Amino acid sequence: MYRSQKLSLRYYTAAVALFGVMIVFGLLSALYYLYPAMLYNVFDFHMSKIMHIDTLVIWLLMGFLGAVYWYLPKELGIEVEGMWLAELMFWIFCVAVAIVALVFVFVQYGSANEFSMWFINQGRKYVEAPRWAAIGIVVVMAVFAYNVIATCIKARKMTGIMWVLVLDLIPLLAVYLDAFPAVTNMSVDLYWWWWLVHMWVESTWEVLIGCVMALVLMDVMGTSRRIVETWLYIEVMLVLGAGILGLGHHYFWIGTPQYWLGIGGFFSALEPLPLLGMVVHAIYDAGTHRMKTTNQPAFFWITAEAFGNFIGAGIWGFMMTLPQINLFSHGTQWTVSHGHFAFYGAYVCGIIAVLYVAKQQTSGVDMLAGRAWKWGFGLLNFGMVGMVMGLLLAGMAQAFYGRAIGGSTLMAFTSASENAWFVSGMWARLFFGFVFAAGYVVLVYDLLTAPKRVPVTRARLEPA
Amino acid sequence: MTASALLETAALLGLFVLAGGGYGSLYSAGRLWSRPALIRAGGICWALTFVLALTIAIHTPLDPGWKLLILASAVVYAVIPPLTWRYLERLHDEQEPHQ
Ligand code: HEM
Ligand code: HEM
Ligand SMILES: [Fe+2]
Repeated sequence: MYRSQKLSLRYYTAAVALFGVMIVFGLLSALYYLYPAMLYNVFDFHMSKIMHIDTLVIWLLMGFLGAVYWYLPKELGIEVEGMWLAELMFWIFCVAVAIVALVFVFVQYGSANEFSMWFINQGRKYVEAPRWAAIGIVVVMAVFAYNVIATCIKARKMTGIMWVLVLDLIPLLAVYLDAFPAVTNMSVDLYWWWWLVHMWVESTWEVLIGCVMALVLMDVMGTSRRIVETWLYIEVMLVLGAGILGLGHHYFWIGTPQYWLGIGGFFSALEPLPLLGMVVHAIYDAGTHRMKTTNQPAFFWITAEAFGNFIGAGIWGFMMTLPQINLFSHGTQWTVSHGHFAFYGAYVCGIIAVLYVAKQQTSGVDMLAGRAWKWGFGLLNFGMVGMVMGLLLAGMAQAFYGRAIGGSTLMAFTSASENAWFVSGMWARLFFGFVFAAGYVVLVYDLLTAPKRVPVTRARLEPA
Repeated sequence: MTASALLETAALLGLFVLAGGGYGSLYSAGRLWSRPALIRAGGICWALTFVLALTIAIHTPLDPGWKLLILASAVVYAVIPPLTWRYLERLHDEQEPHQ
């Protein structure tokens, strides 16, 4: 095993641990909707939600870093350049995350001044980490980019996937700089902040997960390089073609010019189309290479990724991306439903697939199968689908009663929050959140236990 | 937009993409296992996609521009799966002629 693959395993461990922290704070956040006075002035909803969504971003980033450190030496045939720096960065990253988490839990907030921005909270949703830590993240990502590029140069080799990856890292890092400015005009501030959030999840991260999935497909299903690379180019062009200007669907109501209504609606309405192509591709690959897979869980999780991306981002996004609908659905639990489904389908499923790739190689079995992973797979998927259905119900109730009928007044908001549909949606979300959490426990258990040795020939013939 | 039109329109938009996805999946599965019945079921799913687009065009208060876009994308949905499939097959044949 390469040294960078050992680092990768460390990143995976940290990622899975933070995934757990994220779930704990997700469940806690969900409880406030049912017991609003809970922990009042001790640990309020907003802090719990910050912990939930910031750990989300961090653990997914760690998963991506792990996946790239895993495949980089395999892809280029040499050890990664600058490993000592990469290893140092891992520890800095972990310590920084721990300190920020402690500050969020115990200090929580400060006065509206520079000191708070530097040491407590920068205040931008999803990337609230204080400035010193945000600079740390930039340094970690820059070292990561250096590792990738320097290794390519040293190996005197560039594969198609590596080109896409390297070119993607530049905008990925560049838009993160949007976490920094302290603009006091709310519209201008949000305008740039969306570059970060939207360009990550609907452009640069889609490309990154596309690269990772391409590597996994070659590894797990034996798909040929030519196929995954040609497909990756097409996918990247289509995703970026629709995704970049799809940004406009966040510029409907924040004080940006009216032309964004047309641009945002038009381009984001095209976003499901490449996702449909990915579903077709997944089925094609699954069928053509089905008999060759020696890693059942990874295979199922990649397939889930293709469908989850299409449904969570494509269907759930399309439902509310036209301005005439978004006028009512904006910022309700409907959005939260889409946010959960899309993040889960597009990214969480993909990262779980690479975890199983690593598990197979570290345990050295020819065939990864068994029963526990199926329980994890089932509970996580069932829990997520249940949660997003509950949230959709609640969000539609908010849009219907609070916005369309009630006219978006504070009174209408309050009474919609007491509406029976809304409340039952919140209970459903909590219930299925626990199902999801159970799935996480099984997943961790399965990842940590040594796999049974299944004879390859028999398992290959087994229908699953 | 009235309150009930809001929910109806959103549901139609969601079902529209869902039917498109159903068509893509059924079509691909049919090609994979050479099952004409599945491909035909896929065809029915696409017909449903188109009917949903028409329903959106006739029945909902969306602006005409959006209706046109949805009708046009119903047509694009029709071609994506066969086009993607043929393309993947061609790549695959070039790569692994023995199969
Ligand atoms: C993997 C891809 C995607 C992810 C991870 C994702 C995630 C999210 C998240 C987390 C939000 C909430 C942002 C916030 O207010 O904090 C959001 C909002 C939104 N997304 Fe997506 N999304 C994805 C793709 C799409 C696609 C393809 C579409 C359109 C077809 C779409 C349409 C929207 C719209 C319209 C909003 C704004 C909702 C509102 O006004 O409240 N998303 N997305
Ligand atoms: C036990 C499981 C989970 C529970 C109970 C849960 C609960 C919650 C709650 C209560 C919120 C706050 C929503 C609001 O502001 O009204 C939230 C936000 C969010 N969660 Fe989760 N969550 C869970 C798992 C996940 C997972 C697995 C993901 C990612 C795949 C995720 C991604 C998000 C995102 C992106 C937001 C921000 C959405 C927005 O503000 O529009 N959560 N979650
Ligand atoms: Fe977006």
